[in-house]
Amino acid sequence: MSRKLLINILSIVVLVAIIITLPIALKSVYWASVLIILGINILLVSSLRTIKLLGHISLGHVGFSLIGAYGSALLVMKLGLSFWIALFLGGLMAAVIALALAYPFLKVKGIYFVLLTLLTAETFRLTAWYWRSLTGGFWGLLQIPSPNPITIPGIGIITFDTVNSYYYLTVVIVALSLFVLYRLERSHLGFKWRVIQDTEVLAQSVGINVMWYKTLNFAIASFFAGIAGALFAHYQHGLSPDFTARFGVLMSIYLLVYMVVGGEAKFAGPIIGTAVLTIVSELARGLGEYQPMMIGAIAIFTVLLMPEGLIGLPNRVKLWYRKLLKQTRGMRGSA
Amino acid sequence: MPLLEIRNLGKRFGGLAAVSELDLDVGRGEIFGLIGPNGAGKTTVLNMVGGTLLPTRGKIIFRDEDITKFPPYRRARRGIARVFQRDVLFRSLTVLENVLAGFHLSSRTGFTEIFFKRPSTRSQERVLHEKAMEILQFVRLAQQADEMAINLPHGNQRALCLAIALATQAQLFLLDEPLTGMSGEEIEAMMSMIRTLRDERGITSVVVEHNIRAVIGLCDRVAVLDYGRKIAEGSPKEVVGNPTVIEAYLGVEENAI
Repeated sequence: MSRKLLINILSIVVLVAIIITLPIALKSVYWASVLIILGINILLVSSLRTIKLLGHISLGHVGFSLIGAYGSALLVMKLGLSFWIALFLGGLMAAVIALALAYPFLKVKGIYFVLLTLLTAETFRLTAWYWRSLTGGFWGLLQIPSPNPITIPGIGIITFDTVNSYYYLTVVIVALSLFVLYRLERSHLGFKWRVIQDTEVLAQSVGINVMWYKTLNFAIASFFAGIAGALFAHYQHGLSPDFTARFGVLMSIYLLVYMVVGGEAKFAGPIIGTAVLTIVSELARGLGEYQPMMIGAIAIFTVLLMPEGLIGLPNRVKLWYRKLLKQTRGMRGSA
Repeated sequence: MPLLEIRNLGKRFGGLAAVSELDLDVGRGEIFGLIGPNGAGKTTVLNMVGGTLLPTRGKIIFRDEDITKFPPYRRARRGIARVFQRDVLFRSLTVLENVLAGFHLSSRTGFTEIFFKRPSTRSQERVLHEKAMEILQFVRLAQQADEMAINLPHGNQRALCLAIALATQAQLFLLDEPLTGMSGEEIEAMMSMIRTLRDERGITSVVVEHNIRAVIGLCDRVAVLDYGRKIAEGSPKEVVGNPTVIEAYLGVEENAI
């Protein structure tokens, strides 16, 4: 038991060390920016999985991310708010809109929920496209400022205008958000979500206000989608409602693929799925237009060979190894 | 004062009257049977008391409170527990977790508890755990506490359904065909368990059941429904001898042939 704990602590220390030294070791602005987007995507996919805990699949997560992105950017640009407040308010806006939509949305199940969320995200995107006076329309928002510097007494002023500094900012915010999502899942809230997902009618008859807990789930997940959007906005310094870009249908589908390939049953699944697929697709950039096919092929193989996702790989390998061991032993025995 | 009062209850599905002009009183500590031929509206009544269906007209009063329009979860909080037909339980949870899910009403945890567990919460969790085990002992499932609920045999699953209802601290149990699909032995065990619930914990039960012989053996009082109307009410012996009841049942058999 204590040995297991030691191994856990050690692996966490190693992981943290890797995360901290990564941009320094890579010495590449390009890779640092890939890692920033990766971090943002991890938060998106993890919060997408929060909705999945209810048994719902959302194809509209990017829509709430868009609310957070535009919301935060506009609050900074038009009202002159500090990034740190705008970031939070951006998430809050996404959550409030989710709260308003939750009742009709969560009444429906399965494919209907998928369609509703998909169409909502598209509606948000088209609103950003056509509301020129506010969002800049097709050209989008430009020159979104970097986060305000913060002063820590004794250390000095920290600025966030370089890629590396934004990387650390992203790491901290994403890590905090993941911690919250993780604790939520382990709490009585998470237990209620599990129970509701399992048998809704019985959950109700043991006194759980099913609609309320579903609404809460949807709002929390949308809050973190909004935070991810705000992080994106202030990193890119520009936002566009173009349908091939960040807030389009394609992105929603990618998020879903990341979640499924990583394995949605475990908390770490989406994190691993997003990381592996992002890095693979970056390495496969040379393939040009065949790059999406790589992702597709990996997704298909994972679903066919490891229905539990990449997260199940260690167990699979153990199983295969044992089988192999048995076979070789059997062969020796017969010989 | 009766625990549950049903006044002039009616439910229409389109043009079809599933239940009409129903009056029922269920006293504290009673085991009340609701019987009748197929399609008589028994389950509809149970659904209306449990809250999964809203009546078209009439009133449902539980512990002197009008609960006619309450959603199911609020009825559960007032002390009504539904034990569904077939094996409606939390299939992906263990036996113990199923009971703990039933306990959720009495566990008061705040938002800060998500991040920091206070010692009081831990001790509360320990108490709930003990209580859950006690309930499992009562339904004779303590040995299987850590098994997955879905892996239990049918009879044990029904017992677990009872355990979940018990965990909600309900005073009124709505049992929808609790004996269906059980072996003779399992029926005996379930019947004695429902009786013990009444004798030891003062729990009132409303039972919908097809197995007439079991109903006669189990219930203190019985009401017979036919085409959504009450055609007889009284002790099991009285009701079984009632000519209208016999006609209703035989009529159905004739139609069935």
